Amino acid sequence: MEIKPQGDAFPLTRHSVVAAAQGRDPQERVRALDAITNAYWRPVYKYARMRWRIEREDAEDFTQDFFSRLLEKDFLAAYDPAKGKLRTFLRTCIDRLFLNQTRDARRQKRGNAAAHVSLNFEEAEHELAASVQAESPEKYFEKEWIRTLFALAVERLRAQCQAAGKSTQFTLFERYDLNDAETRLSYAALAQEFNIALTDVTNYLAFARREFRLCVLEQLRDMTGGEEEFQREAQSILGVDAK
Amino acid sequence: MNKIVLGLILGGILGILDGLTSWFTPAVRSGIVGIVIGSTFKGIIAGILIGVFARKVNSLALGIVFGLAVGAFLAWIIAFIQHGYYFQIMLPGAMVGLIVGYATQKYGAASQPLRA
Amino acid sequence: MKFLPDQVIARLQTEMQTPDLSGTRYRALKLIGRGGMGAVWLAEDSILHRTVALKVLSAESSSAGLAARLMQEAIILARLEHPGIVPVHDAGTLPDGRIFYGMKYVEGQTLDRYIEPLSLRQRLQLLQRIAEPLAFAHSRGIIHRDLKPGNVMVGAFGEVLIMDWGLAKIMAATSEDHARVQAEEDSASQHSPGKPLKEESSIAGATVHGTVLGTPGYMAPEQERGDVKLIDHRTDVFGLGSILKYMMRDDRSDAHSELAPRPLRAICNKAMAAEMSARYASVQDMAADIGKYLDDMPVSAYRENIIERTVRLVNRNRVAVVLVLAYLLMRTLFILFSRH
Repeated sequence: MEIKPQGDAFPLTRHSVVAAAQGRDPQERVRALDAITNAYWRPVYKYARMRWRIEREDAEDFTQDFFSRLLEKDFLAAYDPAKGKLRTFLRTCIDRLFLNQTRDARRQKRGNAAAHVSLNFEEAEHELAASVQAESPEKYFEKEWIRTLFALAVERLRAQCQAAGKSTQFTLFERYDLNDAETRLSYAALAQEFNIALTDVTNYLAFARREFRLCVLEQLRDMTGGEEEFQREAQSILGVDAK
Repeated sequence: MNKIVLGLILGGILGILDGLTSWFTPAVRSGIVGIVIGSTFKGIIAGILIGVFARKVNSLALGIVFGLAVGAFLAWIIAFIQHGYYFQIMLPGAMVGLIVGYATQKYGAASQPLRA
Repeated sequence: MKFLPDQVIARLQTEMQTPDLSGTRYRALKLIGRGGMGAVWLAEDSILHRTVALKVLSAESSSAGLAARLMQEAIILARLEHPGIVPVHDAGTLPDGRIFYGMKYVEGQTLDRYIEPLSLRQRLQLLQRIAEPLAFAHSRGIIHRDLKPGNVMVGAFGEVLIMDWGLAKIMAATSEDHARVQAEEDSASQHSPGKPLKEESSIAGATVHGTVLGTPGYMAPEQERGDVKLIDHRTDVFGLGSILKYMMRDDRSDAHSELAPRPLRAICNKAMAAEMSARYASVQDMAADIGKYLDDMPVSAYRENIIERTVRLVNRNRVAVVLVLAYLLMRTLFILFSRH
């Protein structure tokens, strides 16, 4: 099943994805947990592979198991935004689960963790090969968390631009700002390629970047425990201290 | 207090002091009243002259030099009249002039500008 | 989902930091500072061909309350035209919806760095110059509320500027002032989207009682208590006193140096009195006392004993005292000489 565009995957009140996941409304809970799963499964998978050097199949099982338990055992009930970041809490849960399973020598094969979220482990495995190791498992988890944040924001932007009939703007953004080549195309080259004026290239990119910023912030809200954490993370990720 | 009045008062006080210390010189003790009057008068004249200079010229260095010169000159006149004690009269006289010259430059109200 | 390599993420982060200045006359050059409310960017004004500083509300601080506060800060700065207060050139909304204002870019050092090589006398002379723009602001009914060495800059030409009026408060002295303050608040709110936040806000006259605004270590007791109704220009007297304390401090400890003269310590203590009524009535009064201290005159904050007074008078009139002593010594020598 395809992942739903983020634009309508979590149309909640925007207070907090965690608050919705901890709430009583079962539909909201499921949708909130889907959003958390969607945001975190990649970092969890890669973290498990990197940290414990487990085989791919074991990492897949572990990831599925973790998110199933997240739903069934209500891990999030124990989370208090005032005590720490959501991702730190989840990482602690991951570590604890792994240790428990290793100690008890049982790791169950479980079904698809969240029925609405498709976990493309093949893709995650390719990304793992392409990513650079960080100095510690915690840093690695954080790095992958940021990567997922931006990647999901890109998908949001794609969906929004498509819906608004601004596909050209997104394509330009993708070609220029998401290009990892050593030398990027010039604005003039892009103008020629898309058969538009140079000033249009400037304006379209400005539009896309503006919207992308909003998408990142919206996605960040879905990945943090509350307003205070959101502010701190935004400052950390978007500020000069970002590593 | 303006500079001329300051010079007058300070010169007069130091002149009195100057005159009184001549009591320690037995040879001139008998004429102490005249000495004190003369010394006071000399101090007042020096003070007025130095005060006038200070009103016109705003320079500490020049004020000191002028005071020194006036004090020494007036003291020389006294010593000349007395045909002696040049050193004992001129040195204190010059010092009084120096002190009054410094004081009138540093203290005392400057002249007020003319009002329209 | 598209995989984003590390270098692309780093580039996107940098781009997200940079304010969207498209369609404006400015071009962002580099980030020069970050605060709780936003960031300050060095930018080029493409019309006047000069560098300016742009204070931009950060995207994550996009609440209506903070937007109104930033606009209020710009309005306050625009009201305070004084050589000692950084002038504001422009204010408005960026294409991405963020509030900004443009001001003079001050090239120089903050006070804490600048005073390091200075003597105590030079530091005190600098303090007198800090009091001038403050007094001006108070005369316009504005209190800074966040005075500290980091918020004072000394420019390239030695000019002293008080920065960061983000916590400033407009005091309304008369009913006319109340109306003007209200109009300015309405204007500030119009420039920011949405309704004001219910949580703390430092919009003039609207700070909620109990709110603590300021910097720890430099806050007056009434600020620490959140007693906003009590805050007036004497709060800035406390702030100026805290700067004086900083200037007098012993580098090895936080307390002001025991080597600092007693009249100066008394001035500092008076400025930083816990009771507002015990402080100087104004920053001018405090600056005047500093001036008296520098001129070797008696200060109002300290009652000298007879010995201290004599020592001060002798210090003040050192040359005259030496001359008189020299004269008396000469006279004494003459007397002794004439006896022999």
